[in-house]
Amino acid sequence: MAKGKLRNNAPAIATAGPVSVWMIIFVLLPLIYILVISFMTRSSYGGIDYTFTLDNYKEMLQPLYLSVIVKSFKLAFLTTAICLVVGYPLAYWIASKPFKTAGNLLMLVMIPYWTSSLVRLYSTNLLVMPNGFINTALMKLGLIDQPLDLLYSDTMVLVGLLVTCLPFSVLPLYSSIEKMDKSLIEASKDLGANSVQTFLRVTIPQTAPGIAGCIILVFIPSLGMYYVPEILGGGKVMLIGTLVKNQFLVTKNWPFGASMAILLILITLAIMLIYTRFNKLEDLEVC
Amino acid sequence: MKKHLKKVIALALMAVMALSFTACGGGSSEDNGEVNIYMWSEYISQDVVDRFTEETGIKVNFSYMNTSEEAVAKITSGGGDAYDLVMPCDADITSLIEGGYLAEINLDNVPNLDNLGDAYKNRVFDPENKYAIPYLMNYVYVVYNPETCPIEIKSYDDLCDPKLKGQIASVTGQRNLFPIALVALGYDANSTDEGEIKEAYEWLKNYVPNVTGFDSDSAETMLINGASSVGLLFDGQASKAFSEMGDDALVVAELENPVQLGVDELVIPANAKNKENAEAFLNFILDAQNMADNLQTMMDNDGQAYACPNEAAVALMGDDYQKAPALDIPKSVKENYFLQLDVGDAAKVYDKYWTMLMSDEQQ
Amino acid sequence: MKTENQRLSKRLRRKRAGRRWGNVFAVAVFTFIYIPVAMMVLFSFNDQRTNYYWNGFTFEWYEYLFTKSTLWENLVVSLIVAVASVILSLIVGVLGAIGLSRFEFKLKKTINSSLYIPIVIPEVVLGISLLLLFDFCQFPLGYWSMILSHTTFCVPFVVIIMRGRIAGMDMSVEEASMDLGANRIYTFFNITLPMMVPGIMSAAFMSFTLSIDDVIITNFVSGPYATTLPIKILSMVKVGLKPEVNALTTIMVFVLVLGIVCNSIFQAAAKRRASKKVVTYY
Repeated sequence: MAKGKLRNNAPAIATAGPVSVWMIIFVLLPLIYILVISFMTRSSYGGIDYTFTLDNYKEMLQPLYLSVIVKSFKLAFLTTAICLVVGYPLAYWIASKPFKTAGNLLMLVMIPYWTSSLVRLYSTNLLVMPNGFINTALMKLGLIDQPLDLLYSDTMVLVGLLVTCLPFSVLPLYSSIEKMDKSLIEASKDLGANSVQTFLRVTIPQTAPGIAGCIILVFIPSLGMYYVPEILGGGKVMLIGTLVKNQFLVTKNWPFGASMAILLILITLAIMLIYTRFNKLEDLEVC
Repeated sequence: MKKHLKKVIALALMAVMALSFTACGGGSSEDNGEVNIYMWSEYISQDVVDRFTEETGIKVNFSYMNTSEEAVAKITSGGGDAYDLVMPCDADITSLIEGGYLAEINLDNVPNLDNLGDAYKNRVFDPENKYAIPYLMNYVYVVYNPETCPIEIKSYDDLCDPKLKGQIASVTGQRNLFPIALVALGYDANSTDEGEIKEAYEWLKNYVPNVTGFDSDSAETMLINGASSVGLLFDGQASKAFSEMGDDALVVAELENPVQLGVDELVIPANAKNKENAEAFLNFILDAQNMADNLQTMMDNDGQAYACPNEAAVALMGDDYQKAPALDIPKSVKENYFLQLDVGDAAKVYDKYWTMLMSDEQQ
Repeated sequence: MKTENQRLSKRLRRKRAGRRWGNVFAVAVFTFIYIPVAMMVLFSFNDQRTNYYWNGFTFEWYEYLFTKSTLWENLVVSLIVAVASVILSLIVGVLGAIGLSRFEFKLKKTINSSLYIPIVIPEVVLGISLLLLFDFCQFPLGYWSMILSHTTFCVPFVVIIMRGRIAGMDMSVEEASMDLGANRIYTFFNITLPMMVPGIMSAAFMSFTLSIDDVIITNFVSGPYATTLPIKILSMVKVGLKPEVNALTTIMVFVLVLGIVCNSIFQAAAKRRASKKVVTYY
């Protein structure tokens, strides 16, 4: 009896087994531990004191930390919005090419990732130095007589985030646009809808899984990419990613860092929950 | 098709096997003929290390850290037994000793300890030299470009002068900047008093608008490129700025306040597997000639001259080191310094005000 | 009144104009993405010990790279870790995708949602939690800890890519194979797996890309015997980035681009050959 049951389940165990075990050991268990320490206290020398407290979560609600959270959200929101506005047409354009060409174009989008992102960010920084190429060129052309003050600005942080995130927004968008049933667009137009109407009522709903995937892939990581503001923002911008990193590495206040990590996970879950109200989670496109 | 697939699978398996061999080959040499060191990259001369291996037959494996906090993390959580020597900074030593994370060094194996200057023996946080051996050290001081800097800088307070708006290339991090603000205000650099820390925060609020950019790694870039006229820098960064811009292009400010001195320590984690090899390495690198060669090679290769607590080694160095503009600083600066110490629970307070400082709306 | 023809040609004209603007837009975006890469390549030829500003052209750093540099060791470590974690995550992920899309079981929902966690949580948190895990199990930090960690963040991407492909696959072929008397394992290796090859390729590509450039997680879980290239670069930043690093990354990009070009030429040739034969596979 038991043997028969085992044989029936064998394919399921053989296929879904490894991934389940892997996710439980390497993702769920460590996260449960993080959840547990988010309710603990920091001991004097930066260890974890196993006494229960809610202070970590209360502290997060202080205006100070709220303002960091709000600022990070603003920047992440802007990055996501731009990635969507730029990434969507690009993905659409790539999808309009023959399948083969599209594949090569996607490769072209991904190639910068094979170089070190640090090297790319530092090189970008050299471009906007007072004696860098942009300023030298503009001054030689006589367009400006003082070097432009581009270095270490919020604009450069945004540029850095875009350079880092844009490719990851193109992938999910591409795969859902590619899967889209193009005949529906023709049908909509034949039925007299104009382009805007067709786009809003037909194209967007059909590509929702890609849009949601793009939001998740860009929004949350851009909350956490602390090295971009450090290199391109002149270290003057504090984002939630930096804050979490500081708690774990500098202040050694692991419980507080853990509670902020839990907050980030909750935000992610919330976005996914909203999404699953309208679509199936399995349809979510992330690559 | 089928044949093809089998080939692919066979290849994949071969790759996995080859990999297991490499991984094990690296991981399981139990003959004790090695020492594993976790330290800053480009911070020791490979020639000198090779000489150590030649003399003792002990193989040296390096891994590299990016922040001193990582050194602490490697000792306290996970992998404490993976390393035989780790390089935290002096400020971390107290908490590492308190936590029982460090092994006592058998000083009989390290006779060359005598080469250290007196100021670097039996220090407050390690009164019997049992746990931490100073390796190299760095000052955080002020340099400025006399041609472009609008004022002469004589104290930390001058750094807050509105005339310097957007002019300072600065080191960053709460542990570097708060002590400077506290010292400028006349308080103890390692204060744990929240009122004083708050005042330091107010002081820093006037400092931040004057900063071009914060960068603890390569702030000298801003000076070299002309984006900044003043630098609050590590001496190592200053030395790169000097070698790029010329010895007369910058001036080390003679401050009335003490400057910060940070020492990179070598410690043996409590669980280290090759403790005796680690001690052999400590003794080797404390040798005057070895350390002198180490300093000289780093200067020749990277253009960086480091301050060194090993007085016997410094005495062996030639003029290019002694007179290096980043190191040949006024005695008043060199001898008027403060150290960073562990601030215990006050770390939370510092972090709060640091977050506040960095999240204030940018001016 | 407009005739049907006029309306159509107007739409066509608009479409053509749209396509032109589309090309202009795409070129602009690609330029934006590639400016940093171009800068990186350019500064690999910079005649300066550390990259501060453009100081003149030299090949010196390439010469240095091939004669003295130790960065190759780190590149080898990176490649070993990347290849191993790609293989591991393909095994776990491809099987998992099949299991998660074909079978029902108790934990399915949890596993499905947990797949999204490594993708979305801040890398710092994943790095810390993996370090805690290895610490707890007394697992030594080194090649394997890096490979296991990289596999952890690659598996979800593999599962998700493969799930998409499996959903679009024609199941009847598999059923036919089983009806004809092949057992499950035979069917898997001879029918299912070959059908998934294009998906596996793109999953492998994705995982490789993620693994080769990872800084934050690797930083936490790397041990004394091996340092990957990004970690080495990160620690070199301390004393300033040398053009040597730019030179190596330039070569990496060059080799990979060459690989893609060769691959697509090879594929095109293969396709031409195949089209001459009678196609029976499909």
